Amino acid sequence: MMPTPVILLKEGTDSSQGIPQLVSNITACQVIAEAVRTTLGPRGMDKLIVDGRGKATISNDGATILKLLDVVHPAAKTLVDIAKSQDAEVGDGTTSVTLLAAEFLKQVKPYVEEGLHPQIIIRAFRTATQLAVNKIKEIAVTVKKEDKVEQRKLLEKCAMTALSSKLISQQKAFFAKMVVDAVIMLDDLLQLKMIGIKKVQGGALEESQLVAGVAFKKTFSYAGFEMQPKKYNNPMIALLNVELELKAEKDNAEIRVHTVEACGGSIQTSVNALSADVLGHCQVFEETQIGGERYNFFTGCPKAKTCTIILRGGAEQFMEETERSLHDAIMIVRRAIKNDSVVAGGGAIEMELSKYLRDYSRTIPGKQQLLIGAYAKALEIIPRQLCDNAGFDATNILNKLRARHAQGGLWYGVDINNEDIADNFEAFVWEPAMVRINALTAASEAACLIVSVDETIKNPRSTVEAPPAAGRGRGRGRPH
Amino acid sequence: MALHVPKAPGFAQMLKEGAKHFSGLEEAVYRNIQACKELAQTTRTAYGPNGMNKMVINHLEKLFVTNDAATILRELEVQHPAAKMIVMASHMQEQEVGDGTNFVLVFAGALLELAEELLRIGLSVSEVIEGYEIACRKAHEILPDLVCCSAKNLRDIDEYSSLLHTSVMSKQYGNEAFLAKLIAQACVSIFPDSGHFNVDNIRVCKILGSGIHSSSVLHGMVFKKETEGDVTSVKDAKIAVYSCPFDGMITETKGTVLIKTAEELMNFSKGEENLMDAQVKAIADSGANVIVTGGKVADMALHYANKYNIMLVRLNSKWDLRRLCKTVGATALPRLTTPVLKEMGHCDSVYLSEVGDTQVVVFKHEKEDGAISTIVLRGSTDNLMDDIERAVDDGVNTFKVLTRDKRLVPGGGATEIELAKQITSYGETCPGLEQYAIKKFAEAFEAIPRALAENSGVKANEVISKLYAVHQEGNKNVGFDIEAEVPAVKDMLEAGILDTYLGKYWAIKLATNAAITVLRVDQIIMAKPAGGPKPPSGKKDWDDDQND
Repeated sequence: MMPTPVILLKEGTDSSQGIPQLVSNITACQVIAEAVRTTLGPRGMDKLIVDGRGKATISNDGATILKLLDVVHPAAKTLVDIAKSQDAEVGDGTTSVTLLAAEFLKQVKPYVEEGLHPQIIIRAFRTATQLAVNKIKEIAVTVKKEDKVEQRKLLEKCAMTALSSKLISQQKAFFAKMVVDAVIMLDDLLQLKMIGIKKVQGGALEESQLVAGVAFKKTFSYAGFEMQPKKYNNPMIALLNVELELKAEKDNAEIRVHTVEACGGSIQTSVNALSADVLGHCQVFEETQIGGERYNFFTGCPKAKTCTIILRGGAEQFMEETERSLHDAIMIVRRAIKNDSVVAGGGAIEMELSKYLRDYSRTIPGKQQLLIGAYAKALEIIPRQLCDNAGFDATNILNKLRARHAQGGLWYGVDINNEDIADNFEAFVWEPAMVRINALTAASEAACLIVSVDETIKNPRSTVEAPPAAGRGRGRGRPH
Repeated sequence: MALHVPKAPGFAQMLKEGAKHFSGLEEAVYRNIQACKELAQTTRTAYGPNGMNKMVINHLEKLFVTNDAATILRELEVQHPAAKMIVMASHMQEQEVGDGTNFVLVFAGALLELAEELLRIGLSVSEVIEGYEIACRKAHEILPDLVCCSAKNLRDIDEYSSLLHTSVMSKQYGNEAFLAKLIAQACVSIFPDSGHFNVDNIRVCKILGSGIHSSSVLHGMVFKKETEGDVTSVKDAKIAVYSCPFDGMITETKGTVLIKTAEELMNFSKGEENLMDAQVKAIADSGANVIVTGGKVADMALHYANKYNIMLVRLNSKWDLRRLCKTVGATALPRLTTPVLKEMGHCDSVYLSEVGDTQVVVFKHEKEDGAISTIVLRGSTDNLMDDIERAVDDGVNTFKVLTRDKRLVPGGGATEIELAKQITSYGETCPGLEQYAIKKFAEAFEAIPRALAENSGVKANEVISKLYAVHQEGNKNVGFDIEAEVPAVKDMLEAGILDTYLGKYWAIKLATNAAITVLRVDQIIMAKPAGGPKPPSGKKDWDDDQND
């Protein structure tokens, strides 16, 4: 009798389990974090990524890099997911969230190897996160919304902090102002798509401009347009969904929506029955030359709730990265408008939370103490990485920071410019509290998820989509 | 005909070449048991609050991170015929109760494992089966005596959320209090007076970003959609629902219009516009300020909807449309006719909102009287949210089970140990050979607290002996204490760890049936897989087919 092995699952199914599997998952996540580690902070470096189609992208945005990396490892994919989630929720801090998650895992790895039950780790992490989030809420500084000047200052600071880690950090003051102007122009819903970003190659970064209204590349004109005047004052605008011909054809929808928002008309699908109330209105309509392109401008609109940022710059990749950076900054400003509490960046808040949790951990007995301590230690990765990227002696600076926080220096963080520590709240390195809260929650959720897995079962990929049955039947019925 | 290979004599001779055939204890029964044991082993580590998650990557390369046995099995594509039976039993449990699928697997696995021992010491298969059947009947007799309490008020959110703890806990340990409360809120608010509770009326909407604790419940529905027109918010909405596209009517038959002059052409299109205008105006005049359509929206129609300040939402799914009708109390109209008051739905507010960076349309009831409520789940990864959704699913199903039968039994292995104790003593009173099988059946119950203890990293034998000791003293409700880090026991009724009576009842029944079915098999005959022609490997042939 032949003792054949029992085949339970489909052939080719791959399964691995146990502690080694868990440790290998953690290792995989650390590899991912390694890829974005050096991009953190003002002194972070950018990455050049060439994708499958040979398109080059330069970026230091964690989410963008991870997306382009095309990770296949199932556990490591989780990190990509949280970066995406941070991108969706707040728009910035994607590198931090990946780093934090990877560091959490790194800190618990020895405990896992020693055989500590993962559920205990998860429990401790959830407690720690809850405590940390409450602490952030407690110490965050609220800026009054009523005071427009104050609020504007807050927004600009937040935008500047977000931009300082980007490629365009040299022009951060210039762009911070532009971003805040753009966001303030929007209505209460703060729809992101109402800010258009157009890129025109050539010129310098400083030549970028914000248009309080709509600007778009002149698309198409009928013969005889040369004769038309290039500038109208106080025009009435009819917005048509159809061409001014009998033949119906679709127009560029995006521009239309923008123009409607700006000029206060409504879109007309028919040329019949045009009345005054559906016509839009703006002060100036103008056609000008920007770089190599002709641009149409609608400016001075009475009900402007939309705006367009025209970016200038050299290389295409450079402008794309600028656009991503501005996107981050815009998201941060929107967040800051919705939640007006801020914390100090530059590792200050992490150091404070780390201290708080360490102190807390000493008051509780059992394994939780070690684990919350590990969590506290993991938080230090942010200032540490900031120092590493700037080429500072991280150990030295961290010691200084720990000492200062122990003495009650709430907002002390890394001072990138002077290789020292400084009160980052005074230095106006501000971030919306929301960003940090979300980063911590997402990172710890991801870490818990990865720690809770002890088995991976991989089914073989089903073969190329089975051909449709009908087609095959027909083929077979054919006489040969 | 070249060489004819003579076939082996016996049964195989009668079959086509390529068919597989196994028979007898060694070849069939033990192998089947082996397969089921292996399967149970996989899901066993996922049992209970301290169970571990599994990462399952299915054949479409989709990743699942879960400890829900039903999901793991569904994606695993179990191939072994005997193991499939156990999987079916667990599916049945999923359909019948919606929770406790892992219990079925672990218990059936344990029953089979012990059956193997019995067979090896020389019992016949039929004796084992008979013993198991007797024991199962006995278990069902005992079970009602173990009921420790029952749900009192079906409309008390606090009471319910504490009852849901156990089922949510086994999926999302640590978040159970928060999630149970959400689920209880959602369930209680839509629980109709008639007592007929439909699981489908609790919707889940997953939106990436933030954390679990930002999840919320709202009465009404949430769709991940944008509005079509300019109007983004309507208070006190009158909703007209159309299952057809929001567009001009097109005649069923082909017609030809002969146009002779330019004027006629203009009048033709103008006529169409006017008709549309009149139609939308009529809808607006009827009082409707929100239109929901199941089909596409014509530009022209959209224009007039904007003109008359009507909010326009497009839903692609027919089911979504049907559910919405139910929520707002509307009738879906198949044609673009003017709705009468009765056909229109009502909702306190309809608005476009942004959650994370996702645009959602919310149909909201202020009062808790809607027919449908939605749980908006937030989470940092898709996998996590999928898993929470499964936990919510289990919670909602538990609610449903409770609406059918309010009785509860203690969890945490307390019920199992008590059953084991009583069945063992019953077994001793039986004279025949089935006594062995009955006692083994009782022993199989130990697998549950054993799995709980092992998954928590606690010595299982110590826990079980402690449990027996306490139960011997008559404390029926004492079970394994998950929270303690040493082998410890506590009163489950006081701790609020309760399982539904129906869940246990069906789980025991289904697991026993599955085990018995597997045991009954003594021959496996597998025909040669028909397969048919292999999917074309080269591209050439296929293209030929396509071309002619």
